[in-house]
Amino acid sequence: MLAMKRFRSLLEPRRVGSHEMTIAFVRSLACVAVVAYLEGAPAHAQTASPAEQKIAAAERAVASNPTKYDAYNQLALALTRRARETSDTVYYDRADAAIARSLELSPGNFEAQKARAWVLLGKHEFQKALELARTLNKQTPDDLLVYGFLTDANVELGNYKDAEEACQWMLDLRPGNIPAFTRAAYLRELFGDIEGAIELMTAAYQRTAPLEVEDRAWILSQLGHLESIAGRSDNAERLLQEALSLFPNYHYALANLAKVRSAQKRHAEAADLLKRRYDAAPHAENLFAFAEELERSGRQVEAKAAFADFEVRALRESQIWDNANRELIFYYADHARKPAEALRVARMEIARRHDVYTLDAYAWALHRNNKSREAREYMERALAVGVKDPAVLSRAAIITGKPAVTKTAQK
Amino acid sequence: MRKLIAPLAVSAAAAVLLSQVGFAANHREAPITALDHKADITDVYAFRSYGGAGAGTHVTLILGVDPFLDTANGPNWFPFDPDILYEIKVDNDNDAVEDVSFQFRFTTEQRLPNLFQVYAGVPGGANAPANSPAPVPPGTPIVPPRITSFSDAGLGQRQSYSVTMVKDHVSTPLMNIGGGPLYAVPANVGPRTMDYNALFNQGIYQTGTGISMFAGTTDDAFWIDLGGAFDTLNTSKAPPVLSAAEDAALVNLASDTVSGFAVNSIAIEVPIALLTRTGQIEPASSTAATIGVWATTSRPRTTVRRPPLPSISNGNFAQVQRMGNPLINELLVGTGFKDRFSMDQPANDSQFASFFLDPALARVVNALTGGAVAIPAPPRLDLLPVVTYAPPIAAAGTPAGPIADLLRLNTGVPATPPGSASRLGLLGGDAAGFPNGRRVFDDVTDLALRLVVGGVLAAPFPGFNANIGGKLGDGVNVNDVPYRTEFPYLGSASPGRTRRHVDPGEAFCTPLFGGGAPCLP
Repeated sequence: MLAMKRFRSLLEPRRVGSHEMTIAFVRSLACVAVVAYLEGAPAHAQTASPAEQKIAAAERAVASNPTKYDAYNQLALALTRRARETSDTVYYDRADAAIARSLELSPGNFEAQKARAWVLLGKHEFQKALELARTLNKQTPDDLLVYGFLTDANVELGNYKDAEEACQWMLDLRPGNIPAFTRAAYLRELFGDIEGAIELMTAAYQRTAPLEVEDRAWILSQLGHLESIAGRSDNAERLLQEALSLFPNYHYALANLAKVRSAQKRHAEAADLLKRRYDAAPHAENLFAFAEELERSGRQVEAKAAFADFEVRALRESQIWDNANRELIFYYADHARKPAEALRVARMEIARRHDVYTLDAYAWALHRNNKSREAREYMERALAVGVKDPAVLSRAAIITGKPAVTKTAQK
Repeated sequence: MRKLIAPLAVSAAAAVLLSQVGFAANHREAPITALDHKADITDVYAFRSYGGAGAGTHVTLILGVDPFLDTANGPNWFPFDPDILYEIKVDNDNDAVEDVSFQFRFTTEQRLPNLFQVYAGVPGGANAPANSPAPVPPGTPIVPPRITSFSDAGLGQRQSYSVTMVKDHVSTPLMNIGGGPLYAVPANVGPRTMDYNALFNQGIYQTGTGISMFAGTTDDAFWIDLGGAFDTLNTSKAPPVLSAAEDAALVNLASDTVSGFAVNSIAIEVPIALLTRTGQIEPASSTAATIGVWATTSRPRTTVRRPPLPSISNGNFAQVQRMGNPLINELLVGTGFKDRFSMDQPANDSQFASFFLDPALARVVNALTGGAVAIPAPPRLDLLPVVTYAPPIAAAGTPAGPIADLLRLNTGVPATPPGSASRLGLLGGDAAGFPNGRRVFDDVTDLALRLVVGGVLAAPFPGFNANIGGKLGDGVNVNDVPYRTEFPYLGSASPGRTRRHVDPGEAFCTPLFGGGAPCLP
């Protein structure tokens, strides 16, 4: 029996986001200096994270110049950065407030609008983010980061051709820039070119400043994930451990390491890692992954309680864009044995977006409802993009009746 | 025309907001290009050849890159970049897509690996003298003889290049009829080291098909009071309006900021019949006579999707920059759009139409002169001949094609003999000059100012004053170095040892074509 492993787009902004990568770039443009006392100190000995330092600096700037709009922009970007570090969405709300103040002081200012696009992506408001990014791109077609927003929003919505075009502009406009590399790496991964993704992600890592520990940990987490998909779990292990030593308890690294453990059938350890991840990033979808590993490690009572808790929480946010609907679909399809519910949620989600992971979940819900022809049709759309994610491929093998062809898919 | 109206609505606001004067030479116009000197296109020239064997039958196309080269700046000087694909492109069927293009790629050898500078020489060479310490025995050659040919040992850094013509998707290598490689002329280091002019002359190559080619470090043919222009149009005359006498004089009232500087030039002289779509020389009245010319620089790029077999694929290039007209990207396109402009294709230029047809520069000149320089109301349809195929450059009846930044050249207009040519080109009654193509001596700074401010290319608008709008200029009227009168038409780079950059306030009047001209006080 194939294990139904959860998977969520690794670049999704709020809880697993890539575009937040680019904040490092924005910050460097804003010339916010690295706090001097950190110099020479080993990275792990830091007391304040890079984002916390930025927030503190921005708050000082706001305090000394409360009517200067760009101090609020600086604060908003620092807060979105912190949102990625902690996965705590409250920072997006605080960022929104800073943006509102900035726009009050200087109506329509470009940097504030960019920060708004960022927050929209963070809140998974992909359609709104796309519309804003398009407007900003018309306003200033040379702005690199706006192409990043276009890429991110289109990736999440499943508009891969548009995403590729926007990302190519990023690569061309400033050859070698980090935000373009991380995005192009993710597109390569989605298109099935795992080695090509590793190549660009590694290039991004080499260009990232050593003191940007969270950026480095983020890239290492992605590399660990890619190495794991490529079937090199030893490499994955080393990369993820390095990420955790750079940025202790980093939620992305914990999640990816748990996947490695799960594939090694060390489910108890995977469950422990996911518990730590959930404690660090207490979102409904993270609870689902934890519950699954509890179940696999034989802790049925705890698993049941966690699933129940998950369902309540996931239903609560099911109607908004920032939701755990993908996990909820798999919960209803595979754990609660409520296929009709799975399909209901899946229809809601497919109306919003048609990225490969939504296509996969929708196809699975259709499959569980014995709608084989439709299930195959949607799964084939996902496969046509080139996705190599093992969990998707294993479901695809069941739905299409064809054995999964890649080596990694047989795991 | 209806398509143009929508972007114009946006542009009025954008134009007014644009506070920086984009008045400049063609040097370093876009932010990204400013970071990539080697790929930075300084100027593009295209004109009917007016001297030598090509006169009457050929067009000369020149691409300048790498601005402000100081020939004193050793020890490595300024080789072309082997990583860059340099291209000159020609559209001959009015769609702003290239039909004929010429691709140039360079290779570098280092032949003096143990010497500390890449060019070295003295007449007769210098050998180790009698008291030369061991282990170098007396008589050992130390400094090579003065460089007088590309095979000489002193030419330590030697660049050769290949030229490929792509016509109707067929690539043809253009080979030196004399056999042997095509060498690029080095920087003019100084008279002791090299006979630069001898190398220059040897660096002009012919193919068997009537094409001539040249590449090397030459004088920058362009001139301008760049300092005055960039200090928000703080030119020697305020407002920047020349008197009739000043306008007519081949002398400089202000210093030529580019004087004494060199650029890397690529030039090719091609039979007109090779470029027109009919394969023959067309009369000026023919709708097939006008071609569109632009140049690009490109670098290998990273693509989102990897090519399946990169090692055998043709290579994947990203355009770093392009240039057609001398005024478009630097004078008209907004700073937040310049990179996108540089990297996009001319056929997509309608996205920039608002910049062309309501130029911010016109409003800036209007504002800075307190209204003394009147400007017409947008949309500036009088500028259409610069960005489409239209009279007075193209013959009536020529399909206009899309809005695109191409240098338009009516190949049917005979060349004007240099003695009677005007620096003001078409606006000076000389039909063979800018904006009908561009010659090395066309004063595109003054011309661009006058074109953009309006009233000169089409019928004057109400409020136009020919003695104001028609006499705009920066006060620099001539180059510091004489031009050649036949291919490649460019002047010699000044020797590094004696090159001179004219400073503001200095009187430094130089003649055109080696003639004589007095300085105005």
